[in-house]
Amino acid sequence: MYAGHFAAGLAIKATQPKAPSWAVLLGVGFLDVLFGVFVMLGVERVTTTPGVSPGFRLDFIDWSHSFVMSLVWAAIFSVFFWQRGRAVVLAVGFAVFSHFLLDWPMHPPDLALWPYSSQHIGFGLWRRFPTGWWWMELAFILAACGYYVIRARRSTMFGGRAAWACVLVLILHMVNSPWLAPTR
Amino acid sequence: MSSFAFGLLCLISFALPVPILAWLDRPKRKP
Repeated sequence: MYAGHFAAGLAIKATQPKAPSWAVLLGVGFLDVLFGVFVMLGVERVTTTPGVSPGFRLDFIDWSHSFVMSLVWAAIFSVFFWQRGRAVVLAVGFAVFSHFLLDWPMHPPDLALWPYSSQHIGFGLWRRFPTGWWWMELAFILAACGYYVIRARRSTMFGGRAAWACVLVLILHMVNSPWLAPTR
Repeated sequence: MSSFAFGLLCLISFALPVPILAWLDRPKRKP
């Protein structure tokens, strides 16, 4: 999942408007930011698979994406916001952990329970539905963005350009489609 | 695509939209 994470971030922000937008939006993608750094450093491994959905195979992502490490990263990320109150800490922490929850249905079983665990989970929509996953993620994006826009209409604290934020998320989803993605 | 390029693409893909989305999400001006 890619753009769906940002849609989740907007929905989390709408639920807890006191949480800083940048923190929530960085939080929802934080595991993949770490993944990018870890892959560049050679700590985690990926193999591109052109023509085979989703265009890559995640060989080892236990440090950034395992269940336990997702909780650890959520705790580390959110503790920086303790001065803003419990509600903000929980919102930011959930934003980070939501990445694991949303990757679970999409990924094939490459999500370890903890680093070097022999047990891996993942429902595998990417593989089961090579193009259908994109429509499923689109449905999630529309639901999350719809919730965000409705909440934004009732608040002055966030969502100054709510509709445009949703348009950007949809553009990102288009770019990540099975037909346009650079890794397809 | 090399692993390094893939990692860099992933990093940029998740970092770059953050400031733009945060800016679009800014508080509304009071009338």
